[in-house]
Amino acid sequence: MAYQVSIFLENKTGHFERVTGVLKNNGINIRSMTLTHTVSGWGILNLLVDRPEKANQALQENGLSSALRKILAFGMEDHPGGLDDILLKLAHAGVNFLNAYGRVLEDGKRALLIVDVDDYELALEQVSKIDLFPLNDEMVYGN
Amino acid sequence: MYWEKEFETLERNKLESLQLERLKKTVNQAVQAPFYKELYRRKGISVDRLTHVEAIRELPFTTKQDLREHFPYGFLSLPKQEIIRLHSSSGTTGNPTVIFHNRHDISSWANLMARSLYCAGVRDTDVFQNICGYGLFTGGLGFQYGIERLGCLSIPAGAGNSLRQIKLMQDYGTTAIHAIPSYLGRLYEVFQAEGLDPRKDTNLRLFVIGAEPHTEEQRQRIEEMFGVKAYNSFGLSEMNGPGVAFECTEQAGLHVWEDAFFIEILDPETLEPVPDGEFGELVMTTLDREAMPLIRYRTRDLTRIIPGACACGRTHARLDRITGRSDDMFIVKGCNVFPMQIEGVLLKIPEVGSDYLITLERINGVDEMIVEVEVKKDWFNGDITRLDRLSKFITHQIRDEVLAKPIVRLVEPGSIPKSEGKAVRVMDKRVFDSVKI
Repeated sequence: MAYQVSIFLENKTGHFERVTGVLKNNGINIRSMTLTHTVSGWGILNLLVDRPEKANQALQENGLSSALRKILAFGMEDHPGGLDDILLKLAHAGVNFLNAYGRVLEDGKRALLIVDVDDYELALEQVSKIDLFPLNDEMVYGN
Repeated sequence: MYWEKEFETLERNKLESLQLERLKKTVNQAVQAPFYKELYRRKGISVDRLTHVEAIRELPFTTKQDLREHFPYGFLSLPKQEIIRLHSSSGTTGNPTVIFHNRHDISSWANLMARSLYCAGVRDTDVFQNICGYGLFTGGLGFQYGIERLGCLSIPAGAGNSLRQIKLMQDYGTTAIHAIPSYLGRLYEVFQAEGLDPRKDTNLRLFVIGAEPHTEEQRQRIEEMFGVKAYNSFGLSEMNGPGVAFECTEQAGLHVWEDAFFIEILDPETLEPVPDGEFGELVMTTLDREAMPLIRYRTRDLTRIIPGACACGRTHARLDRITGRSDDMFIVKGCNVFPMQIEGVLLKIPEVGSDYLITLERINGVDEMIVEVEVKKDWFNGDITRLDRLSKFITHQIRDEVLAKPIVRLVEPGSIPKSEGKAVRVMDKRVFDSVKI
């Protein structure tokens, strides 16, 4: 099972850097990320890192609102249409996303689609019916 | 020129005699209510001691706290079947402040409202649109009865829906309006968006603005935007509502109707009278109310009496603009808000901490109440929709409590100063007339 680290952030100068500063001091490597913001002046930073538990603990110890969040990750081919192929399957399975982002594993060959869903268990059930299996943590962000 | 010349221009010594006579009557009426009966019995107070109006200082004060503690009927000095209406403050935390009226009170209030409007230049030839919430809020029905008593064509438009307001103005040729000042900037924007110029495309000539603090500059801007004269109105629900004090066409302070209210300006610390013309807390006594007289009610509003006589010929004292409060209440979008009400709402929401910060700010000409609250760390799970739902939920809860819709901002834990000691909970960044002490 793979996790991302989600952090609640106010949209204020320097707040993003506070997070990366903590990660730097703890030797955490970032694999991928997204930053969303709302009109209400806050947003959520989602980080895919090599050691999510360690990152989450360090961020919380530094006073940040941080949480580990289950994600689904699927392998795809790193060429034009690669994302469309996997999305077509997920759409047929009925999976709806809250957020999604990607990571290249090997340029021109392999990439990852990372998906954040509302109901994790339901999504697992949906993808298993089409014989699609999420990748484990080692494959998603391991060394 | 006058609605009731005999009262409005009454010589000061005769006005004082009238006040004394009405004060005695009021005290006799008040002790019919459980609250005053018990209080005056305990303190051994008798109406016989009221030989001159200054003797009112021997009577104890009445506070908002008293009203709440003796909710709902502790201040009622008439049998319930004689009561025909109540008005009440908002609020679901703690007891609301409720005021009861009998037929005489409603009629007297309507007359004071008519007198107030007449003094600002409103006539029975006017078409008067009341852009104000009806219901428990006194600005709706209070004005309505006054407009009708005066004899204008009244349009009980209610609050909001600017396009409809403009349509009403055009359809019926509205000449006069009552609204809260912060709404009028917004209304003007809607006029502009519709390609209309209120100076050319309406018959508007006179505005009555009140229920929230505003500056002389704001008044002048409203007058320029709409091509009207704008007059300041002051009232508070405990003293009926609107119709307590009103500007005459001189625009030089608000005449407070001293045949209906006895006013004192006191130092809020020592509760001793301040010298003439100096700022202090306004303390008021009803002189013409039967169902629920209030004696020496501490309004918490800070103002002063403007010295000298008014060119209009009215002898009733003029109050200056309200410059602040001696408690932590503030007014936004025409609603009275106590920070404790916001705190009460937040305490019931386990997802957020109880620390909060309220910022009052004028954004695009509209006064906004921004409420910052901290999301609890252990509740946060990274779900953006859950946070958004929480933000909307808090917005609705606060709106239900204080009637004004806030802008809720979720902030990181630890970013709001803790509530130990005297933490600042309200930051008012709006600009009002400075206190001229």
